[in-house]
Amino acid sequence: MSGPKALRQPLALRVASGSFLAFWCLLAAFPIFWIAVMSFKAPVDAFAGNPLDVILGPMTRAGGDGLTLIDIVVGVAVLYGAVQVAMRSLPKLVAIDAPWSNPVFRWLVASAAFAIGFVLVFFGLLPPILNAVNGALGLEPVIGLTTVHYQAVWVDNEFWRNFVNSLIVTVGVVTVSLTVGTLAGYALARSGSQLAFWILIIALIFRALPHSVLVAGYLPVFVNSAAILEPILGENAPTLYGQPLAVIAVLVSINQPFTIWMLRSFFMSIPAELDEAARVDGCTHFQAFRWVIMPVMWPGVITTGLFSFLLAYNDFLVTSLLLDASNQTMVPAIAGYFNRETTTTDQVEAVAAAVSITAPLFLLVMIFQRQIVSGLTAGAVKG
Amino acid sequence: MKFRTFAAFVGPSIFLMLLFIAAPLVSVFTQSFYLTQPVVEIVSEEVCTPGFLRQTCTTETRSQPVLDEDGRVVRETTFVGLQSYRNVLEPQRAWEAVSNFDIGGLLAIDFWKALRFTLTFTLITLPLVIGVGLAIALAVNNAAKMVRGPVIFVSLLPFIITPVIGALSIRWLFVGDGILTRALEWYLERDIAMFAQGWTIEILMLFYRVWHVAPFAFVIFYAGLQTVNTDTVEAAIIDGASRWQRLWYIIVPHLMPLIVFVALIHLMDAYRVFEEIVGFSSQAHVISLQWLTYDFLQPDDSGNRAVSRASASAMLTMIGIVILLIPLLRKTWRDHRGTR
Amino acid sequence: MKKLLLASAVSIGAIMAASTTAHADCAIQNDVELSSLTAGFEAWKSVTDAMAECGNFSAELDQEFRTKQPAAFAADPSLYHIGGVSNGTVTPLLNEGTIRPLDDLVAAYGQDLSPNQLIRIDGQIMAVAMMVNTQHLMYRHDIFDDLGLDIPTTWDEVIVAAEAIQEAGVVEYPLGGTMKAGWNIAQDFNNMFLGFDGSFVNDDGTPSVNTDAGVNALEMMARLTEFMDPEYLVSDSTYVQQQFQQGTIAMANLWASRAAAMDNADESQVVGLVNTASAPIAMDGGAPATTLWWDGIVIASNITDEEAEAAFQVALEGIDTDMVTENNEDAIWLISGYEPNRLAEGAIATATADPAPQSYPSSTEMGLMHTALGNQLPAFFTGELSAEETLEAIEAEYLTAAEEAGIL
Repeated sequence: MSGPKALRQPLALRVASGSFLAFWCLLAAFPIFWIAVMSFKAPVDAFAGNPLDVILGPMTRAGGDGLTLIDIVVGVAVLYGAVQVAMRSLPKLVAIDAPWSNPVFRWLVASAAFAIGFVLVFFGLLPPILNAVNGALGLEPVIGLTTVHYQAVWVDNEFWRNFVNSLIVTVGVVTVSLTVGTLAGYALARSGSQLAFWILIIALIFRALPHSVLVAGYLPVFVNSAAILEPILGENAPTLYGQPLAVIAVLVSINQPFTIWMLRSFFMSIPAELDEAARVDGCTHFQAFRWVIMPVMWPGVITTGLFSFLLAYNDFLVTSLLLDASNQTMVPAIAGYFNRETTTTDQVEAVAAAVSITAPLFLLVMIFQRQIVSGLTAGAVKG
Repeated sequence: MKFRTFAAFVGPSIFLMLLFIAAPLVSVFTQSFYLTQPVVEIVSEEVCTPGFLRQTCTTETRSQPVLDEDGRVVRETTFVGLQSYRNVLEPQRAWEAVSNFDIGGLLAIDFWKALRFTLTFTLITLPLVIGVGLAIALAVNNAAKMVRGPVIFVSLLPFIITPVIGALSIRWLFVGDGILTRALEWYLERDIAMFAQGWTIEILMLFYRVWHVAPFAFVIFYAGLQTVNTDTVEAAIIDGASRWQRLWYIIVPHLMPLIVFVALIHLMDAYRVFEEIVGFSSQAHVISLQWLTYDFLQPDDSGNRAVSRASASAMLTMIGIVILLIPLLRKTWRDHRGTR
Repeated sequence: MKKLLLASAVSIGAIMAASTTAHADCAIQNDVELSSLTAGFEAWKSVTDAMAECGNFSAELDQEFRTKQPAAFAADPSLYHIGGVSNGTVTPLLNEGTIRPLDDLVAAYGQDLSPNQLIRIDGQIMAVAMMVNTQHLMYRHDIFDDLGLDIPTTWDEVIVAAEAIQEAGVVEYPLGGTMKAGWNIAQDFNNMFLGFDGSFVNDDGTPSVNTDAGVNALEMMARLTEFMDPEYLVSDSTYVQQQFQQGTIAMANLWASRAAAMDNADESQVVGLVNTASAPIAMDGGAPATTLWWDGIVIASNITDEEAEAAFQVALEGIDTDMVTENNEDAIWLISGYEPNRLAEGAIATATADPAPQSYPSSTEMGLMHTALGNQLPAFFTGELSAEETLEAIEAEYLTAAEEAGIL
């Protein structure tokens, strides 16, 4: 067999490919790393001209907040451990779990448990212990670091309300989108009719529409929906403006074309013989779907679900226009910091809020990274 | 599958799309041919506004909409045919510029300026996204098993981060004396202002988009690489095919459907470019088609929106994307006919 | 103010769902469920916090308020009872008749209001102003003292001073400018244009910016940009404020509402070094080249009279003397009890100048003109078009928009 030998690569190629990858990783992570650093500094440091000032934060340190060497070592170690748990142990745990419920649910519970555990350990347990250790050893901080902006964001500005709203909208969108989408995707994959084809093409064109066109049309209708719906629903007609449910419906619809295309190509990769056999045994289409297809469709559904999640979580245009303050989600709330008659402190708080928004996404990718790849590999994307 | 079953399965999905996408679309289409205006009257009235200590009162002549008995604004809708399209396209001015070979003159018209940028943006980022995505996928596939996990994780970050925040994070690195602008200044030993001229902003926007989307292409291609048939590769090696030949004749054709898929998604998204304009506040130098529509729709302080022009520009944007998609749609059509 | 919206697909909603129980600081006990929709800057936060002390009140501070307000107030019943407006944003509410005249309510409850606060349109009180804002000169008095420079009173003197500062090498770019494409740059032009005694539209609604005043204004602005950081087309008020705070500019014509930030020790490296003065004049005998703005409250039409009565009383609690004493620095208040500080000098000098600068002319025409200016002016500063060509393009865009809006 000449295979392995010929597949082995010359050193030059390996070095080139390795350094390209290193360069790309630097490029990918740097901007995010940088805003994370900024969010922990006093405003003067955060916008300082000298990069070392931003990293070391002399003004912040002068303010009495900072990390000692021990803090840094222990913090990094705990972070590393957490990443290991998330990437390696967690998927295994989910995989062993008994088949008493569907994988999506299991994943949700596992991720939530991990997130809560991490927050408790990292923000609840570590600081007092480390403070005690530092106090005992009499160490001086080497890097300026302050969490006042996070406190301002989460406690004073009640950012957790936005977090809860984001959660409601996101969970709603993912659930509805997948429920409606799997049904449609399955039918479209199994039907070879002209109609199915044209539905797909039209969905494709809908996918291409500029959103600002659609969104502007919603506002007057949503604000006046009580009056518009009154003939149908009578006295109880709701004002849709400001209702998370209405926003969920809009986001699901906007994302529906992508969802049905993804799921359709995924269902195409499940052999049709499988459900045909079930139909021969006397199942209806729906029964075949429920008992034969559903058990094998999860990899594709999870991957598609992640894309829906990203759309709903990151949406700005729809949520900013159609939600009022009490139901505001995180992304539009953040923009509020920038566009208030802004002070520099506001800006750093906005950066802190931005980092807070990114944290759950971090977690998500950390946990689901393998599922994304394996889901796509399994055939959610076949062109 | 019987039609009734089919309808039951697709029904909810179709209903949502009809209600929230098709219906607004139809209304936009109609609005682009009509003009809805309030009936206005010219009034002259005394307006008193505060100074710091005492008021100043002035008599102002201004137009004001007429209200009916219920206190609602009286509006008139007239059919104007293609007038709104003419207002957006300014065909006469555009034609004059074209016949004088005056590109600058053509690009002084907002629509053509936006079209120019949108097209260059789409067409430049497309190969870059596919190329960079493929390169990362190959490099990751090449890397030791140990590092793959973390590398995939880091690579996905630019894709998952909220677009508005991603754009801002890059902007902060460059705006004014941002950290990277200083680095560049130090390296090139000259003063640099990244936001002072159009082309540097355009480069930043291109960079941001490639940075943001390449991970998506990467993860799709990487998934595709996992299913490359090793037998074929080994056969090729026995036949003495070089590394490049293997890449070009086996791997790329294998990934072709995925490349088409990524190209399709990217074409649609890049053509809608919008966040970049806002995130990098580039409207002084470059604007995009979706931004143009958005701008028409933004009410000014006195509440005016250019709804008809917005509808027209939206329809023109849509026509553009359909034209761009035609080659891909034709391919889908042929595949569809073939598989049936 | 369109600037905020543009910066937006990035914008919105500061959040104060402040439904609190009645507080001792409020003189009345409010039993009617009330809500307000206002802009989100600091002064509004102070005012709505004070309103919330009366109980049963929820405030929405939202930077998209300008998009939402007309629709929300037009709904029947109106989604909000109290609105926060400025002289710019009150126009759509007035035009559509969605806010009510306040004469009766002022007669019944407004004993403490000064006549200066009552915004009268055709004799009827339509809004109650609480603060004024204007763009005026801010400068680093330490630099001016060191170089022995006089405080400029005209824009020509500003240029002379800028030259001297640049020559002395104190800062690289002596001037800051709020010239971000869109709303900001248009507003800067408005200031200069009015300073040259221009008028935006004729009585029949046709545009009149392509005049000597227009060309003069553009030329003056172009001369000023030579002393600005070359990225001036993306620089908004916050950016100029930061330039001041970081000590990279020596003067700018900046909003009065930004002055307090100069003395904020947490962010500023120039605490106590920035003074304010009247906005410079553009030509002899002219008014300071700036506009006056006010912010105030309005009450919706589509609510019951009982609600309106309660809403007005609560709104007055929000803009009473107690609130001002607690938040004296937040704005140039029009409310009795306000103690002007050092940084308020410029705004007061501007507002009381003779001849006085105009109030920002709020009308449908002005809205269209402002948009056209914001869209077309950048072409002049990037060098694509000459001054006359730019003004021509502005008039052309204005005409198209005005025909579409039905006013021509």
